[in-house]
Amino acid sequence: MSEVIVITSGKGGVGKTTTTANLGVGLAERGKKVVLIDTDTGLRNLDLLLGLENRIMYDLIDVTEGRVTYKKALVRHKKYDTLYLLPTSQVKDKMAVNEEQLIALCNELRSEFDYILIDCPAGIEQGFKTAIAAADRAIVVTMPEISAVRDADKIIGELGRADKEDIELIVNRIRPQMVRNGDMLDMDDIDEILSIKCIGQVPDDELVVTSTNRGDPVITNRNSEAGQAYRNIVGRICGEEIPFMEFLEDGFLVKLRRVFGW
Amino acid sequence: MSEDVMFKGSRVGLQLILNETADFGNIRDQLKKKLESALNFFSEGTIIKVAANRLTKEQEAELSLLFKRYGITLQAVDFSLQKSISRKQEEIEAEIPGIRETTIINKTVRGGQEIICNGSIVIQGNVNPGAKIIAGGNIDIQGVCRGIVHAGAFGDSNAFVIADHMMAMQIRIAELVARAPDHIEKTKCTERAFIRDAMIVIEPVHRLGAG
Repeated sequence: MSEVIVITSGKGGVGKTTTTANLGVGLAERGKKVVLIDTDTGLRNLDLLLGLENRIMYDLIDVTEGRVTYKKALVRHKKYDTLYLLPTSQVKDKMAVNEEQLIALCNELRSEFDYILIDCPAGIEQGFKTAIAAADRAIVVTMPEISAVRDADKIIGELGRADKEDIELIVNRIRPQMVRNGDMLDMDDIDEILSIKCIGQVPDDELVVTSTNRGDPVITNRNSEAGQAYRNIVGRICGEEIPFMEFLEDGFLVKLRRVFGW
Repeated sequence: MSEDVMFKGSRVGLQLILNETADFGNIRDQLKKKLESALNFFSEGTIIKVAANRLTKEQEAELSLLFKRYGITLQAVDFSLQKSISRKQEEIEAEIPGIRETTIINKTVRGGQEIICNGSIVIQGNVNPGAKIIAGGNIDIQGVCRGIVHAGAFGDSNAFVIADHMMAMQIRIAELVARAPDHIEKTKCTERAFIRDAMIVIEPVHRLGAG
């Protein structure tokens, strides 16, 4: 049974594209057939994070406008042969694809892939509406920062309006020291507002920046805490029960566990 | 991105407020979205007033038709005249049917959502920051209220707001507005906000049958 998952956030820069790339690689490493669709038309980034920018021949718009079949546009990952990217155009903008087109495309892809991950653009306009249209479930990415959480709340409301009720949360870019000092929102604060199931807590990690620049997602890096967090998220998506990571000492760790019952 | 179209409760009744510089196309589209969003609970026969000089006759007619589909009558009114007439509460209520009804919302109201109701509202969930609840009657939030609430929106100063955790950004009752302090602590008990001596006051209350 194939699943279409949209990765969205509202706020820009919280890690949607990073998350999409890492989850894609993680699932492919487990042998799943995965296609990643970049819907951030005009400002595409997903190809960079995967190191595939030189291999793009056709894009999402070429497919939705009928110039090529999706098979021609898919870029296979250099290392993981069950991972494919459908990049988008850097020349057009988000008005170039609508909901019906993406739904039709995803219906075609369902027969070939186990997971279809859609990298949603920031905002709540047409780009967002198109990206969520075909989704079976949504992963909302946020960070422990008040404007990111507000935007996530708005996004959850908009997803509800579009009848997308299967919504889970990833909290990204956590700086445990700042949380402990009370300078960053903690999981309690976030859960009070968003009240959706959390499937991931990813620490802020410099290695994410290096991996982005090198086009090699951090999930492959055994020395990275963020990488480990992403590996755990992939496990949870595949139905495993994995406790949240310990990045802090006992007092805070106990609190994390209690809030989410893990 | 600010809104060009807003519903507002006031002493002159329910108003349609239009941004001065907005073009009609935008106004009509935003109005459609608001009415379709099913977050507005206007009873049949509700009258909404719009400033007479803001729209052309054709534009008025077009919006009138749009409102009619929802059982609402659009009235063009010269507000400069209206202000000086002090209206009885009964007169206002006659234009706002359903003011004695209660609507129940059984989920959390999220940021950016706006619920407008002629009568009273019960919310079985939270009201998140950035959410707005406007009611002709009372508002009861069985959860945490962090948004903006306006009870007695058509001038009923006997209206009140109750919340399990009253941490609203703004509490408005009839024409009065109270603003939360910049740093609000999590409250411990259910509280009721109401008007006493021309001020909004908040007092703890006990819900009957509460655990």
